[in-house]
Amino acid sequence: MFTRMSDLDRMFGAMDLLRNRMDRIFGDFDYFYDCGPGLAVNGSLPRTNLYEDGDHFEVRAEVPGITKDNLNVKIQGNYLEISGTRAADSPDGFKVHRTERGSNTFSRSFTLPDDVDAEKAEAALKDGILYLMLPKTEAARPKQITIK
Amino acid sequence: MDETRELVKQDNKNIEKTRELRSAIPAVDIYENDDEILLYADMPGVIKEDISVNIDNGTLSLSGIRKFENKGVSKWEEFWDVEYARSFSVPQTIDIEKVEADLKDGVLRLHLPKSEAAKPRMIKINAA
Repeated sequence: MFTRMSDLDRMFGAMDLLRNRMDRIFGDFDYFYDCGPGLAVNGSLPRTNLYEDGDHFEVRAEVPGITKDNLNVKIQGNYLEISGTRAADSPDGFKVHRTERGSNTFSRSFTLPDDVDAEKAEAALKDGILYLMLPKTEAARPKQITIK
Repeated sequence: MDETRELVKQDNKNIEKTRELRSAIPAVDIYENDDEILLYADMPGVIKEDISVNIDNGTLSLSGIRKFENKGVSKWEEFWDVEYARSFSVPQTIDIEKVEADLKDGVLRLHLPKSEAAKPRMIKINAA
């Protein structure tokens, strides 16, 4: 019987503690799941990050082993599409012990938070990471408001 | 009530720590022929200077640290700074002096040549 508020309080306290513990367990689970190979088995997509810095967006994607000829980037308004092919680089005449990297074709599309200026967009490929600098359109840029 | 406070207090006892570098396991392909073993590992974003390859007592260990310059507010993140690490058992017959490694487009390629003594040899059968 819960006759006093303090008993109820204690019960909820214990439940909160349990919930925190559970959250932490799943946090650990995600941790290992997230760190697995990104672009590996057939049908998997490259992992991407999106950063926003005032007047531009920066998109980064993990594309190990893909040359720039095998990558395509399309932009229209706030629509971004990254597609590509990872060619098989297995050497001839070798016995295969393990293949985790695989070769595949992927296509991933995004809706960016704002329209970007496709003309001024820049793309760079360095150490297996694709860097996209996407300046926002004039209308989407932040405006400084002067206080009167 | 006292007990509740104790529970809450315990939670606060967890000391704040700086974000540790996450570790990740690189995906690898391993191939072998009569002359050498090839090992390809995906390590996107790692620069040459931050990779180390060690062969010691039959264990090959790879490790590489990836650090990004972060600017701007992150809207979503699916990958981040990590430390790639993975170890393999390699046969003692690898000629350690001649191991070669190169890094291109985020893929580390290791050539592990077998020593002369370990290569398969054709035995000629002498007719009696």
